[in-house]
Amino acid sequence: MSDTTNTNLGSRDAILSVFEGFRDELDDHNDRRERLIKHSRDVTNLSKKIIFLLHRIMTDDASEGSGDGGGVGVGGGGVGDRSRALKAASKGREKLREVQGMFANVRHELTGDRFWRYQRQVSPGLQEYIEALSFAHYLETGKLIGYEEVQKSLSDDQGAPYFPLPLEDYLLGLSDLTGELMRYAISAISRRGGRTKAQDVCVFVRNCRADFEVWTPYFKDLRKKQNVTSQSLEKIEDAAYAIMVRSSEYDLSPDMLDDIVARTVSFEHGNGSGRKRGRDYEGEDGPDE
Amino acid sequence: MDVKDLEYVNDLLEQDNELREKIKDEVAELDKKTRTMSGLLNRIHSTPAEQMPALLGQVKPVLESCRTTTAAIANVVPPTQFWRWKDMWTNSLRSAVFAATMVGYLETGTLLTLPQVRDVLGIDPQWSDRYALAAEDYLHGVISLVNELSRLAVNAVTMGNFEEPIKISTFVKDIFAGFSMLNLKNDPLRRRYDSLKYDIKKIEEVVYDVSLRKLAPSRNQAS
Repeated sequence: MSDTTNTNLGSRDAILSVFEGFRDELDDHNDRRERLIKHSRDVTNLSKKIIFLLHRIMTDDASEGSGDGGGVGVGGGGVGDRSRALKAASKGREKLREVQGMFANVRHELTGDRFWRYQRQVSPGLQEYIEALSFAHYLETGKLIGYEEVQKSLSDDQGAPYFPLPLEDYLLGLSDLTGELMRYAISAISRRGGRTKAQDVCVFVRNCRADFEVWTPYFKDLRKKQNVTSQSLEKIEDAAYAIMVRSSEYDLSPDMLDDIVARTVSFEHGNGSGRKRGRDYEGEDGPDE
Repeated sequence: MDVKDLEYVNDLLEQDNELREKIKDEVAELDKKTRTMSGLLNRIHSTPAEQMPALLGQVKPVLESCRTTTAAIANVVPPTQFWRWKDMWTNSLRSAVFAATMVGYLETGTLLTLPQVRDVLGIDPQWSDRYALAAEDYLHGVISLVNELSRLAVNAVTMGNFEEPIKISTFVKDIFAGFSMLNLKNDPLRRRYDSLKYDIKKIEEVVYDVSLRKLAPSRNQAS
């Protein structure tokens, strides 16, 4: 150690010049951090808009290909709904490409070891993006999007990832999907064929919850999200229950049943804020901001 | 989720866990060493100046042995994942920086630079994306050094060494001037920086006491 003593910081000037270097380094770090936080917020905003867009297309009565009122009949909604879902997914994907472009733009900020340094700043937007992406994927395929497919969506044309997708963000993003599916199922119930759809969603969300449960010890945020998932699941189950009771109690035509269900749903949701689904959004997204 | 995807996720988790366990073992080693060193360095407060080299002779082998642990950690961390795992050893590393800079001060009366500390601890700059000494951690270590020197100023006087507080005072003021140049945001480093002024005040009081009573040599004549 003694052979390096002659370069020790013996004078105030020497110390000041060294600390000047630290200042530049810390400033650089803080500036980059701020930029990434802002970026993440922009990604979150756009992703939320995409989720709204998907909901909107799925509940838009006037949209073409709608099976409503067209006498497609019970259990159906089938063809109309399917094409509607595909339309929603493709519109969603178009918008999602914009988000992917945003990630491509910050790629240079996250090279090498930097990604993990700023992972906490990137994470909120990334999760929201995964939520939107997985929703579009669900509408299209009825399945949960795989890890590799999400990573692929965040890669350039050569297949090189912009940054490694953290497992945690992938799982937490998917966990948020269950809340969207709840909204989707509840608003679908009032539509023709919506009860089957609600049943599907119910089973799907129940499976998600079961799959995710084993990972809760590894990620502390997942525990919280699982609780939200449980609440969402319960809402869907209650709605499904209400329908079951009514349809067994009364020997009515499907049209009549739909009217009754419509009333149940308007009771469930009528006491929120003026905005449709407003209450649910506030409940879940509040802590993220 | 598909069985395939489930397995994929479980595999990834499994790999991460294995890695975490490996790192944890090595960090436990480093931790043991830094604790030994802070135990030994605690004795500076009761060691007269002439016995200091002997005490430092005990600390330095431990300090040098940190090199193997450092290399072991650097070997398990995958490339580019330095910041992902860093939290696991941050505290131990900061104590090691403290020990290195304390030994440096006691031997030469000056502050070891970051590259010098890196040398002492055997951190190869080429490992930078697996294991590195970040400016923040170096600065934390230096603040610990100042904290400890404010105690030493008091205890040196108790042992009859009246020059030490004056040396410490100049040294610490230079460091403080350095810290004042940084644009710190509201983080732990900022809070610890804010605490430095109490250390300086404490040291100044000691200097004041020994100067007034003309216990310390030389400097009095100048003022």
